[in-house]
Amino acid sequence: MDELLLSKIRLGIVAELLTADWIAFSELARSLDVSNGNLGAHVARLVEAGYVDEEKSFVNRRPLTRYRLTARGRSAFVAHVEQLQSLLKAHGRP
Amino acid sequence: MDSLESGQAREHIEMVERILAESSQRLCHGAEYFIVWGLYSAAATVGWQLIANGVLPVWSAWWQAGLLAAAIVFSIVRGRTKRAQELRRSLVQREFFNVLWLTMSLAFIANVAAYKIFSGWASAAIWTFAEAIVLLYIGLHGNRRAQICGVLVVVSLVVANFSAPSAAGYVLAAGMLAGYAGFGISELFARD
Repeated sequence: MDELLLSKIRLGIVAELLTADWIAFSELARSLDVSNGNLGAHVARLVEAGYVDEEKSFVNRRPLTRYRLTARGRSAFVAHVEQLQSLLKAHGRP
Repeated sequence: MDSLESGQAREHIEMVERILAESSQRLCHGAEYFIVWGLYSAAATVGWQLIANGVLPVWSAWWQAGLLAAAIVFSIVRGRTKRAQELRRSLVQREFFNVLWLTMSLAFIANVAAYKIFSGWASAAIWTFAEAIVLLYIGLHGNRRAQICGVLVVVSLVVANFSAPSAAGYVLAAGMLAGYAGFGISELFARD
């Protein structure tokens, strides 16, 4: 299994980004119901691993940080979910 | 944490399924753009019909340039405001913008650079065609109002084809007004 995605929050971040072109930091924190500090630490690890791209900009003089899933992150997510499903199957739960 | 117990794996899978189910695939297309561009295209087409019928002088076509400039300025200002408020964009949304800009750009190029081929009412009809593509694309994503309005626009195209030359512009304009601007108004009232 993908070690990075064993964390529920990091898996949640990637799942949120799966159907999105991009999501702002504040929106990710709101939809996953985590604190900014907690999200920041987790998302930094995903960025470091190349699973997620980070874009920093200013909109109306206010900083805006947006995230999008990379092809590497998408592949890792698909492989990880397949392994989770295999694990459940092995334990008799489809 | 190096591995997961089956209970945790189930919990993770359920979370992923919930997130994917809740992720919005609804197209947010901006009802106000449809109203503004539907009104503009209908007004311009009616203007050309009135000129063709001899009701208005040819020089009166210049007011259309003013309307076009107003519609463009509105779209740019509104687009900037919306972008500043946007916190999430779905893949479906990105795809929609691609279709929108490709369709409208091609219609614009046909109008401006191929005006000898798309002459007369063909130049207005090509906008009707472009509007129908945009509406029916939204309709493909399950928006019933867009499906109905798209069909309305296509019907206006066919009816205009069989109308007298003195009325073809009015028919196309009616389709733009009822189909394109009408869709915008219906979306405005349907917002939740």
